[in-house]
Formats: sequence, C-alpha cells, structure tokens
Amino acid sequence: MKNIGNLKEFACTPDRFQGGHRLCPGCAHSMIVREVVNATDDDLVISTATGCLEVCTSIYPYTSWDVSWIHIGFENAAAAIAGAEAMYSALSRKDKLYNDDRKVKFVAFGGDGGTYDIGFQSLSGAVERGHDFLYVCLDNENYANTGGQRSSATPIGAHTSTTPRGRVSYGEKQKKKDLTMIMAAHGCPYVATAIPGTKHWKDLATKAAKAISTVGPTFINALSPCTTEWKFKPEETVEIADLAVETCAFPLYEIEDGHKLTITYRPKNKIPIEEYLGRQGRFSHLFKPENKWIIEEWQKNVDAYWEYLQRREEAGV
Amino acid sequence: MAQKYELKSKEVWDGNMAAAHALRQAEVDVVAAYPITPSTPIVQNYSQFLADGYVDGEFVMVESEHSAMSACVGAAAAGGRVATATSSQGYALMVEVLYQASGMRLPIVMTVVNRALASPLNIHGDHSDLYLGRDAGWIHLIANNPQEAYDMTLCAFKIAEDERVRLPVTTNQDGFLVSHTAQVVEPLQDEDAQKFIGEYKALNPMLDTKNPVTYGAQTEEEWHFEHKANQHKALMDSFPVIEEVFAEFEKVSGRKYNLVEDYRLDDADIALVIMGSGYETAMLAVDEARKEGIKVGLLMPRVFRPFPYNEIAKKLANVKAVAALDRSAPMGTTGALYNEVAGALAANGQSAIMTNYIYGLGGRDTTVEHFLEVIKETNKNAEAGKRVTDLQGFVNLRGPKLSFN
Amino acid sequence: MATPKEMLTTWDKIQFGAVLPSFEDPEAKKRSKFHSYNYKVADWRVEKPVYNRELCIDCDFCWVACPDSCFEVEEVVNKRGKKQAKIVGINYNLCKGCGVCVEVCPTPIKSLLMFPEQIDNEEALNQWPKKEDK
Repeated sequence: MKNIGNLKEFACTPDRFQGGHRLCPGCAHSMIVREVVNATDDDLVISTATGCLEVCTSIYPYTSWDVSWIHIGFENAAAAIAGAEAMYSALSRKDKLYNDDRKVKFVAFGGDGGTYDIGFQSLSGAVERGHDFLYVCLDNENYANTGGQRSSATPIGAHTSTTPRGRVSYGEKQKKKDLTMIMAAHGCPYVATAIPGTKHWKDLATKAAKAISTVGPTFINALSPCTTEWKFKPEETVEIADLAVETCAFPLYEIEDGHKLTITYRPKNKIPIEEYLGRQGRFSHLFKPENKWIIEEWQKNVDAYWEYLQRREEAGV
Repeated sequence: MAQKYELKSKEVWDGNMAAAHALRQAEVDVVAAYPITPSTPIVQNYSQFLADGYVDGEFVMVESEHSAMSACVGAAAAGGRVATATSSQGYALMVEVLYQASGMRLPIVMTVVNRALASPLNIHGDHSDLYLGRDAGWIHLIANNPQEAYDMTLCAFKIAEDERVRLPVTTNQDGFLVSHTAQVVEPLQDEDAQKFIGEYKALNPMLDTKNPVTYGAQTEEEWHFEHKANQHKALMDSFPVIEEVFAEFEKVSGRKYNLVEDYRLDDADIALVIMGSGYETAMLAVDEARKEGIKVGLLMPRVFRPFPYNEIAKKLANVKAVAALDRSAPMGTTGALYNEVAGALAANGQSAIMTNYIYGLGGRDTTVEHFLEVIKETNKNAEAGKRVTDLQGFVNLRGPKLSFN
Repeated sequence: MATPKEMLTTWDKIQFGAVLPSFEDPEAKKRSKFHSYNYKVADWRVEKPVYNRELCIDCDFCWVACPDSCFEVEEVVNKRGKKQAKIVGINYNLCKGCGVCVEVCPTPIKSLLMFPEQIDNEEALNQWPKKEDK
C-alpha cells in the first residue's frame, strides 16, 4: 500500500490522469479521479461507465488517461473490470502475463447513474463474486451528463430536470438511497465515503490507497459536487464539498469487512443544514415559507443518520 | 496445465456437448456466461470440465447475460481468448454489448443455441435470435448438426483472431433439434485442435500496462461514419480468410465447408434456401421429389454474416424459382432470407421467381412431407414461368390457410 | 479548440477499433498526439489565474484541487531530506479558468488570483494587492 505522507510529498506523484479533457470548469469528478489514480504506484486498468467522466475524457481522437482504460456502456463498468480482472487471473495462472514484473490493480469509475441505478446489478454481481477491484462511485446526485435528470442518489427536495420545482411540486420526493451501507452489506472487505478538496485530501487518498491494496472488492462512494447541475459557481466546488461534511449531510466514514464502522472525520462544530442547502441553486426553492418543512425534514434526517453512525461506531458491530 | 481429455475417434454428443468440448479444446482464457435454456448444458459441461481439471482458464459466473458479454469484452480488451454461450432472451439482453464488442474489434467467440424470442415465452428452436443480431457486426456461422456445431466453433476462433479479421464470431445451432439431439461426432484430439487454432495473438492488450491504451472512445459526427465504414469493410473482406480457415480445417479433419453449401443444385430448376436443422430434413424431401421427377436443389449460407450474396447469385444462376424459408416471424414483411437472396439476385442482374415461407417457429416440427409441399408449390411457379402461388406462406400452421401477397 | 486538420483522418487511416494509445514513447513518458495533454482548452477561459511565486508557500493545495492537472511541479528535497513538490507554474493550455485554485490558496495574501484573460502576467504581478492594501 502506498504510503500517503503529507501533501508536499504526495504532490510529487506524476499525474496519471491529465487535463485537456472536456469536463466542466471546477468539476469535482476529475479532482477525485486524479487523487484515486495517484494513490497507488501499481499499474492500473480502469473501466468507466458512460457518463460525464467517460464522455469528456475519451472524445476521439483524444484520451486523457495515462493508464489502460475501457468504456463499454452505461450499466457495465463493474462487469467490464470483472472481465479484465478475470483475464489477469487466468493469464497469471497460465504464466502468460505481458509484464511479469508489474502488479496490476483494477479500478472502476461510475457516476451515480451507472452505480446506484442502471449499473447496480453488475456492481452487485461483481462484488458478490469477489473480484479484486475498487469501484469508485462519483456521486453528483443526478444524471449530469444527459442534462441533470434525477437518479436514486438525488436527495429529497432537489430540483432536477425530471423533478423540477414547479407550482405544484417541490422537486424530488424520494430520499437518497444509502448505497454505501448496501455495499457494506455485500460483505466487501472495505467500503468508505470520501470527498474531493484540500481539507480532506488525505482522507480520500488514504482510503483510495487502502481500498486499492485490499484484496477483494472494495467500494468508495465519493460525493462530487456538480457546479452545473447543483447550480453554484465553479470555484466553489471544494467549499460545497466541505460544507457537506461540516453539516454531516455527507459523513466521512469507512466500514471494514462489512461491519466494523469507523467515522473518519468529526466536525468540531456541526453546522445547520441551511448552510449547505443555501449555497446551491437546486435547493433555493426550499427557502420559501411553504417549503420550510423540507429543510426541517433534512435536518432531522441528517441528525438521525449522524446519531446512528456514532452509535454503530461505539457498538463496534 | 489443463489435463488432456481422451477422446474416442467417434463420440456420441449432442450439439451442446460438442460446443462445450470445442470451447474446452480452444483453451479459452476467460469464459463469462449465464445459463439459459437450451444452451445451459454448454455452461454446465464447461463447469464440469473446469471442476475435473480439463480447463485451466477462468470461468466467471456472471449475474446476467448483459454482464456476461460485458465481462467478455473487458477480458478480451485486457488481452486473451474469450468465449461465451447463450440463447434467445439472453442474446436479446446482450445485444447492446454485441455492437460494442464488434466496434472495438475484439475476437470473442459465442456459441448461440437458437431459440424463439418471447412473448409468448418459448424455449424451443427458431432463428429469431439469430436474426436479431444481424447488424451487430459479428460474423455468423451456421451449424446444422452436432458435428458442425463442433467444427464451426473451432473454426470460429481461428477466423476471429486472424489479424486480417479481428471481429467477434457467433456459431449458431438450432435449440433442442441440434443442441439436445445426440449424434455421432468425430472430434479432433486435443493437441490437433489446439494446433489448428493456434496461440492467441494479442492486439492492444490493456494488461500490457507499459503501453496503456484507451478502449471505447466517443466518436461524434466528425468520426463515427469513418469508423463504421472501416468496420463494415473488415466484415466484407473476411470472406477469403473464412475460406482459408475452412480449407485448413479440411486438411486436419477431412470435412469440407464452404461459404455457401448446396445439395443437388447443379442441374436444379427450383431451389429451396434454408438454414439450420431444417436443411437436413429438406435433403430427404429433395431426394423424394427428385424420384418424382422434380429437379430441385437446396442452398444454405454457411456464413450468414457477412452474407455471400455473389456466391448465392452464382449458384442460383440457372434456377427458375426459389423458395426462401425463414425460421423467424418477420413481423410485417417478407423474411430475412427472402430479402437477402432477392437482393443477391437483383445485384447480379438475375431474376428467379421468389417466394417466402415461414416455418418451424418455436420448435414447430417441419417434416419431409411439409418440405415436399413447398417443393411442389415452388415447382408450379417454375412451370408457369411466373408466380402463381402466394408470396408468403406458412408451413404447418394450425388453422385456415394464412398467406400474404 | 476544434479538431486540428492533421488529426482528421480518413476512414482507411483511423485507429483500429477506435483504440487510442496514450504514449508514443512509453519509456520516455512522451505522450502521443492522441493524448488530451496535447489538446488546448485555453479558449474556454475568460479570466485566468496568475501565479505569484514570491508569496507561495508550496502547500500544494492548488495542485491537488485543480480539476485539470494544470499545476506544474518540480520535485525538490527539503532540509530534512524529504522530497517535496515545488510549484513552478501553470499549464495555460489546460487551464479552464474555473478559479478553484484561487479559492483554496491559503496564504494571507493569495498566491493565486484571477485576472482578465488578456492581461500580461508581469503586469498582473505588478497589480498584486500589497500587505498595506489589506
């Protein structure tokens, strides 16, 4: 496992994911991807589901990847990487590897669309079969690439293009699906949540290094604030991610072997949820008097979940 | 090291076992498959070979056919020999990935056991799944019996991996009629089959991490046409390679295959075009008809994709009437074989009186008598010098006569 | 930028299976013409970040937060023998002007500030806010 020292050391890592891609200015996806691929010195084979990351980093005739990479479709990032990993096992066993001296690790990236929804089956199957790979979900809580439609990761009250705020609707009516816990229930050796940025860069890098070096299926759910669809200014991406953590809207924790939960960051002062919701255009309608109750719901849910995580950590089960 | 399987010179295998042995002998690196009737025994037999040490590759037991083909694509791009097996619904579920596999020019081999597509649900043999994947960019080989299922699967690997082709290949056999019918099969011994297929040669393997590559780029209006045209050309240019492989196979096995098979067609006035197990039943009908003085012959595209339209036109040059038999409901027009044969004739400035018969859907039995009726009707057209029967008829359909003109 | 004319190949000369190689010389880490590193997204900007070496403390926050891998670093060894990344500049071909680097820069007078695209970097450095201004 790569030793993640301080940032000054980590920044010496030669970037394996380059610029020149067509992701939006300020896109959190690439902040996360850069850190994950730099968190290991092993060779990598990466698969990506159809979505912002895939589309913007592989527009023929350009590729932004310094590592082997495959995109097949929307719902099969996990199946693709499972196939590549199976080939690696087969060739190792038959002693026909291309480079005997290099260890290869497998990472799949998918948006919340390709992970929570259409790609869930192949992710669940690949994890159940125990392939040795890391799956990173780049969760921007909507189908951003096709114009911001809702997904099962869209939180309640959010305005998306298929759950728009309107005269008779306040937006998304369902709560966000708790995919991290679902993946832990699969019995993955390691599952974690993470965010991009500077305050918690080491949290993400350490988790990525740990997940990649762990043998077996591992999963990281990374919150990826989307400047285009969440409606905030491009330079605020890191700030919004930090607010998600400081308000406990997106707590940072890890679960080992499907049950041992550790909270990896405790905000010194948990700030009210309005601080997070108020900065995003997709929630601006929640501040109207008739929708105030949704913000109260939000606070209640966030508090309850934070309480649940702390109790679970204490109980050590 | 996989254990050698001692085979007799004559085995009694059904189509599924034949296909499974061919996959075993091909020393596939990764098989990612999902069970579906009637191809399930291929997957099961392969698992038994694995459990008994006759296979040393990986067998990924995926959770759906879509993931099966996706894992095959991931594994093939990673750089090794890959194969899978499926039928009807599973084939339909993975259709999306079939296009993706051929677009990336990955030499995957799939043994399909042809079965009807729902609804209503049917597990028996017809060609609706074969017709579904026509345009996916895969090479299609047709097997009419277990021997051919075995032979075609071995040839499939060699054709797919040839550097002049590098396209995925499907071998097709009728569900239950071929897959579950045991016949005498003369297999090659393991080392002969392995020598015939040869070692896998990788092209742009992802696992060669010293030379990283990107698969599955996005090509928009500036590029897509060029890529598809290039792929189409590769398919059209694969005929000589297929013929070469068939010629080499003849040297190893003594069995000769051609792009287009025919039976008693040389002096025929009328012809039936038919694929699959029905071809062999029709052979008996042809012999009967010949005894009655009708000069009839059979034609079958051994290679359905790419479609050998020029060879077919050549073989039908002196035929006055042709009946194309499709084992799939065309839903709103004449059947695929009819359309493609008619196109082949038109492309070569030929004409024959053509009619279309839909038969055998969902495993419906089509006997020698049924084919004799078709032959006699086609003969009427030849004798009249114009079409006097219906354009599209249905064979062995229970109820009042159904036809279209 | 639009696809350069020399990259717009004909149907018979496109990449096999649309597979793109990342490097033209993998040993030397020389990226191929197919690599987006050699593509320019500079025309996306209306304002650009200017880097002030004098004020920078090499915390590398900008390096880790930049979505476009714009920050060029040089590896140096500190007094205690540990390797560190020293920021040496911005790759303006890859910079989209998102402004995240400016937001995360922690120095009291920021070492990175956004300026209009047309300004000369030297001129921008002259216009930098001074301690008295604060």
